[in-house]
Amino acid sequence: MSFLPDRALDHLRDVTETPDFSDTRYQVEEEIGRGGMGVVYRAWDAQLERRVAVKVMNAGYAINREAKLLAQLEHPGIAPVYDAGSLPDGRCYYAMRLIQGRRLDEFLRAEPALPPRLRLFEKICEAVAFAHNRGVIHCDLKPQNIMVGEFGEVFVVDWGVARAVDGATAPAAGTPPYMAPEQSAGSADARSDVFALGRILRDLMPDPPPRPLAAIAGKASAQEPAARFGDVQQLAADVGRYLDGQPVAAYRDTVPERLARFWRQNQVLLLLLGTYLAVKLFLYFLAPALK
Amino acid sequence: MNKPMVGMIAGAVLGAIDGGTAWFVPAVRSEMEGILMWSSVKGMLVGIICGLIARKVHSTAAGLAAGAGFGLLFAYLVAMMPEPDGTHYYLQIMVPGFVLGALIGFLTQKMGTAPEKA
Amino acid sequence: MPYDSDTAMGGPHRPFPTTRHSLIVSAAGTGTLAAEALEAIAAVYWKAAYKHVRIQWRRSNEEAKDLVQGFFAALIEQQILAGFDPSKARFRTYLKGCLDHFVMKQDEHANRLKRGGGATILYDFEAAEREIAGTPSVEDVFLREWQRQMFALGLEDLRAYCESTGKTVQYAIFAHYDLAEDERPGYAALAARHGIPVTSVTNYLAWARRELRRLVLLRLSSVTSGDPECQAEQRVLFGK
Repeated sequence: MSFLPDRALDHLRDVTETPDFSDTRYQVEEEIGRGGMGVVYRAWDAQLERRVAVKVMNAGYAINREAKLLAQLEHPGIAPVYDAGSLPDGRCYYAMRLIQGRRLDEFLRAEPALPPRLRLFEKICEAVAFAHNRGVIHCDLKPQNIMVGEFGEVFVVDWGVARAVDGATAPAAGTPPYMAPEQSAGSADARSDVFALGRILRDLMPDPPPRPLAAIAGKASAQEPAARFGDVQQLAADVGRYLDGQPVAAYRDTVPERLARFWRQNQVLLLLLGTYLAVKLFLYFLAPALK
Repeated sequence: MNKPMVGMIAGAVLGAIDGGTAWFVPAVRSEMEGILMWSSVKGMLVGIICGLIARKVHSTAAGLAAGAGFGLLFAYLVAMMPEPDGTHYYLQIMVPGFVLGALIGFLTQKMGTAPEKA
Repeated sequence: MPYDSDTAMGGPHRPFPTTRHSLIVSAAGTGTLAAEALEAIAAVYWKAAYKHVRIQWRRSNEEAKDLVQGFFAALIEQQILAGFDPSKARFRTYLKGCLDHFVMKQDEHANRLKRGGGATILYDFEAAEREIAGTPSVEDVFLREWQRQMFALGLEDLRAYCESTGKTVQYAIFAHYDLAEDERPGYAALAARHGIPVTSVTNYLAWARRELRRLVLLRLSSVTSGDPECQAEQRVLFGK
């Protein structure tokens, strides 16, 4: 057997990996992402004359499970599936909306302000809550699987290890440190996604984080599922309350914090009352001098 | 409750309280009934006007300005009326009236329901 | 490229594995079946092992030869593969760990290494030594050489398959294009050379690459413990 030089080896690795779409309407342009279950390419749909993303699953996935699952989830925060099929080499693929934007971890580097980050987080929760409502849990939520569009839209992507909420025990899937402890044991439910969202919330927070927000993230990512928020909506609601300056369920304000909140929410009123009192006192004590 | 109603009630209550503070001035203690009445009426009028403005203009700054302005005006009209001994209490009436007017204007912006836009 | 019947799957003495039966299970046992399974595993890993010992452990070529042969002999005699637990590590990682442990133990005891062990493994240390001289140093020699050997064996399998099914033209076009050492010829030149339409060149290349992928994956499935490990190793084998 003669020696296979590096150049030839790399070329063979490339050409055997590159999918053959010649019998389809798609023309592969470039690889844009690589996940645990497959590779995502940007492609040109010659039939509808538009750019799409095509995910080619690794060999061994006989059924396009991910495509079927995604096709059931029609939500603004989940990329719609356009088409699915098989390549000549047996690999499954599906075409979906091409998301123009940045991954969440890249977005966070550019967006330092907390309120926009938290509003983004609320949108992530909306998409995940929708999926839970349809009986699907993601199981691999992490900043790398969340895309932020050009106009602030949020997309939750890579549903490769997603499964039914009431599904049977599944092989351990997920990515530490976003993977809930129970996922390692092969059992996951909606609260596993709550755990991951809690970890993502921690990534969004400044250092040091505001105490109520840290408490929300801590509750969401508690080790015990029973100690977490019951569902994603409760988590999102608490974050919403924090954004509105309201007390949050996960944190009990101290007296100074309550007073500070009262002051923040009623500054004008308190200033007017204070001015009125000051004027009255001033006039009372100066009344004899004014005569 | 609509905004003019909120203004009227807030103005009447705050006006009565403002008038009640005159009790601390022995010289006018005998005129308390009249002071309370005119102070309440002044507050109600400011409140109704601010409420009407708040139905159309949704702006805290506008509410404060309108309340302060009308509060000052009506306080001046009340202060113009001399005491039985001929004394005028312009400063003692107009300055608190100005601040209270601003407070009434603020409350009409924050509270009460505005009519729905067509 | 010379055809080596001893290491090519589908060669004259060994049946071509058509099912995805892992050789690891067989190699962990005893007897003839284990020895044959071990030969197949060694065919994939011996070169990676040799270069790893030479480059990472900085042993002389003679020492490395002894160590590699002794290691594969020990795999049979000591049934080291019986200790493999797929839930803890991939087979490739486990094997490399066993090799490192073996080299360290030999250092400690300075024992005379045994060779053989009942398996017939075809080594070509001289060729491997020449390859080391021409290859720039890489961070993970074992990984790189494993990739190289997987594809080299896949190429041998492809060549045997094409010869046995009469697709010699397809293989020739593939070899001239994808295995070209210098500038690759144009499709038109290839078509003219073989007297076929240019579109056939495109089709033959696509076919050959698909087949190569299939054969490499078949080899991979035989040296992995199951689907999860195979999926993970695919990413390493083909990925960037």
